[in-house]
Amino acid sequence: MTAFLIANMAPLMFVALVGFLLLGYPVAFALAANGIVFGLIGIELGLLQPSLFGAMPERLWGVMSNDTLLAIPFFTFMGLILERSGMAEDLLDTIGQLFGPIRGGLAYAVIFVGALLAATTGVVAASVISMGLISLPIMLRYGYDRRIASGTIAASGTLAQIIPPSLVLIIMADQLGRSVGDMYAGAFIPGIVLACLYAGFILLLSFVKPEWVPALPEEARTIREPDGSAGTRSLAILVALSAGAGIAYWFLYFNRLKPDAPTDERLVLCMSVAVGVAFAAAVVNRVTKMGLLSRIAERVTFTLIPPLALIFLVLGTIFLGVATPTEGGAMGASGALIMAVARRRLDLKLLKQAMESTAKLTAFVVFILVGARVFSLTFYGVDGHKWVEHLLSDLPGGQLGFLIVVNIVVFLLAFFLDFFELAFIIVPLLGPVAEKLGIDIIWFGVLLAVNMQTSFMHPPFGFALFYLRSVAPVKEYVDKLTGKITAPITTMQIYWGAVPYVIIQVIMIGIVIAFPQMVMVYKGEASTVDPTTIQIDLPAIDQGTPTVIEIPGADKAEPGAKGEAGKSGDPLQDMLKQQEDEAETANKSLEDALKAK
Amino acid sequence: MKSLLAFSRAIDGLNTRIGRGLIWLVLAAVVISAVNAIVRKAFDVSSNAFLETQWYLFSAIFLLCSPYTLLRNEHIRIDVVAGRLSNRAQTWIDVFGTVFFLLPMALVITYLSWVVFMRSWNINEMSSNAGGLVIWPARLLVPVGFFLLALQGISQLIKLVAHLRGQGPDPNVRHDPAEAEKALAEAILRERGATK
Repeated sequence: MTAFLIANMAPLMFVALVGFLLLGYPVAFALAANGIVFGLIGIELGLLQPSLFGAMPERLWGVMSNDTLLAIPFFTFMGLILERSGMAEDLLDTIGQLFGPIRGGLAYAVIFVGALLAATTGVVAASVISMGLISLPIMLRYGYDRRIASGTIAASGTLAQIIPPSLVLIIMADQLGRSVGDMYAGAFIPGIVLACLYAGFILLLSFVKPEWVPALPEEARTIREPDGSAGTRSLAILVALSAGAGIAYWFLYFNRLKPDAPTDERLVLCMSVAVGVAFAAAVVNRVTKMGLLSRIAERVTFTLIPPLALIFLVLGTIFLGVATPTEGGAMGASGALIMAVARRRLDLKLLKQAMESTAKLTAFVVFILVGARVFSLTFYGVDGHKWVEHLLSDLPGGQLGFLIVVNIVVFLLAFFLDFFELAFIIVPLLGPVAEKLGIDIIWFGVLLAVNMQTSFMHPPFGFALFYLRSVAPVKEYVDKLTGKITAPITTMQIYWGAVPYVIIQVIMIGIVIAFPQMVMVYKGEASTVDPTTIQIDLPAIDQGTPTVIEIPGADKAEPGAKGEAGKSGDPLQDMLKQQEDEAETANKSLEDALKAK
Repeated sequence: MKSLLAFSRAIDGLNTRIGRGLIWLVLAAVVISAVNAIVRKAFDVSSNAFLETQWYLFSAIFLLCSPYTLLRNEHIRIDVVAGRLSNRAQTWIDVFGTVFFLLPMALVITYLSWVVFMRSWNINEMSSNAGGLVIWPARLLVPVGFFLLALQGISQLIKLVAHLRGQGPDPNVRHDPAEAEKALAEAILRERGATK
């Protein structure tokens, strides 16, 4: 019996964990309790050192002093302020009017706005709610297929999960021990490609089933010129002008004066120039009342400026290397606050609500991590990581076999678990195996992020579907504009609508596996220092253990161990130290980047 | 039972006050981090004290607001299976979880981290970063946070038992899962109604 226990501690522990979690008691505490119970059993059996739990405070300290995790409250807070600022609604109104009269136009507008909102912040619920309230009734009014309309809205909302700056990517970077900047740079192109795949699906429909995605009649457009024309030509000219300015900046400024500037710096600055030109034109037009621009052109410019400014504030500063991802989050949150105040949408009650929700979300997310750390302290102690590695590294097909199996497992788990649980429990087990197989960790992380995105769309538990259900009409209603009686959206329609998008998602996983180059751009050109790794122009900061504290109860705590961060003489301590070290590769790359300068 | 319930109410009151009071730290952390980034870039001045303040605040938020989150029943659960059980069975699971999962964990960590804090206090431990802060207040946050969490666990336990004996309401308010989303939807509709 004892021998059986000793030989199978890791699998037993894992099975027990599944049982503990399924009880439905809060995940954070069940995880920690599992770690403690099995730790005690392990000590009793002589499998683990009695000093095991002494390492717990240091593990907690590692969570506390983690600069990356600080981004969680920042981006959450930003999202909560932004969702009430009216920005999403303005965007949907304006872009919907612009694209509406083409076939599938409203669906394109939803996808475009979904991607834009995803790039400002990463809250799925807020995007889905705004779209469900604003775009869905219009789509129904003009006869969109109900399944396609709801599926498109739910899927576009989940883009927030993969397009940076998303919480998934932050947590993934933290758990895999890479820098968030790299993870963002790696996820950027796959995110855009995914949005394009969604749009491609609508395009396909508009040929195969045009009656499912009808064009809006011309009179649905209310922003028009005094003479009744749409004014889109003026917009086209403005777009061409600003694009020209951006391209000119690329060639005239960068190619001549700064030929060795990295691509992301060029992109960010050239896009800023292009947007700046459009903004200047719109302002001049409004102030002088010259009528150079059509109303739609002016309106589109003014509604696009706030989200683009926020994107610059967050992603732009990160890609330029001006701010760390955490600071990008803080700047974005400040920007959102300023915007909400300027629009008179912020009052004390709303601010308090947002802060309270942020504090609670931070508490439960970080506590899952705390629980996972307590769990892994024991799990690694009983060689659980070697057990997982053994299970997974002997799969047939090497790298590809591993990736396929892992993706199927995560895809299936995503039906039951949400991404916090997946990221904190599953990802740290998979990361080291992937690394051993020679898989690029950023690529692996982006792949898992695309996969976990489906957990928001899986019927029947997917959160995006659930959010949409909470705002989609449940009863027949009379359309305000046409006076027609409109049928409700059934839950089955929402589920069926999600199916094609889940399939697109699976295709996307295949594409990311087949074309790792999409992700590898994060490495940048070899000749330049990657701007995403230059973080702080400061004396190197020790985020880990400031001074080594003697471990209470450690029978081997020799005086020599004090003040020396190296070997402690205890293999377990060394292993833990090593783990902590791995988790700090992000900081290392920072220091290396500074040295390289 | 009555005096126990009074004790439970006192704990709830304490943790609510702490939780609600500390939400302002979120705003403080945002402002400090943003200002720090701008000042560093604009004037090339920076200090480790600023950076360390940020994660002190972060630690205070998650450690000290966790009891309040427990009170509000907002720690994530996996209720694929448990959600189908009767209210009574779920309450029993919570009693079990509180006694065997939450309380031992919280008390063990309170004890272990208190030892670490005392050591830090005795040597007046300073951050090893240039211009860094004193460390012991941050070390103190851990035992305080976990002790408050244990207290909240006891309060939940009292309320759960009272509920099982038919002497009180279900302490785990079963939130409408889409509560926040519905509130957001209403707010958006209200604001749109106001502008039109």
